[in-house]
Amino acid sequence: MKRDLTLTCDVIDETDLIRSRDASAGVGAIVYFAGVVRAGEDGKSIHGIDYEAFPAMAERQFHLIFDQVEKRWPIESVRLVHRIGVVPVNEPSLWVEVTAPHRGEAFEACQFLINEMKRVVPIWKHPQFF
Amino acid sequence: MRIHVSFYSYFRDLTDCSETTEEVPDGTTLESLLDRVRQRYPKLEPMRRSTLAAVGVDYQDRHYLLKDNDAVSLFPPVQGG
Repeated sequence: MKRDLTLTCDVIDETDLIRSRDASAGVGAIVYFAGVVRAGEDGKSIHGIDYEAFPAMAERQFHLIFDQVEKRWPIESVRLVHRIGVVPVNEPSLWVEVTAPHRGEAFEACQFLINEMKRVVPIWKHPQFF
Repeated sequence: MRIHVSFYSYFRDLTDCSETTEEVPDGTTLESLLDRVRQRYPKLEPMRRSTLAAVGVDYQDRHYLLKDNDAVSLFPPVQGG
């Protein structure tokens, strides 16, 4: 399974990510997901979220999740980008893509990956209130 | 043994620092270290049940036997995405 993990302070360029996709002829399903910063947190208006990470551990934990994905589903590739630092409202903080022969495994693996990330990857949100 | 302890997210605010060191005897477990850290920083006590602990870049259970110069990280539940 090909893996591409990026933790970055830069804006996530979805167009560029889609353009740079490199899927084999065996791929029949491409699932991608963007997590976007909402304008409200706990009922209060915010202008963004400051994401803090423990980078070395985050990378390690992401790769452990990728290992589980590889064991459970016939996935061809995973690409994941998580933005760190202040992400303004309406901009993506997370972008995940899973490619596979069929849609079932692609959807399941993508959902699993995000759920596990929220459980074990050391990244924290600091909402930026007005 | 000398153990390096780092705090992340709002644990930094609760302790007023991002890192500290603890001198502990051989045979100290991660749980014993956590008890010492909570004594030194009582504001962490209410987070006892939700505190996550790693040694290096891996989670470890509370029975983990610490080694000299281990780097322990303590933090609240994670929230990526």
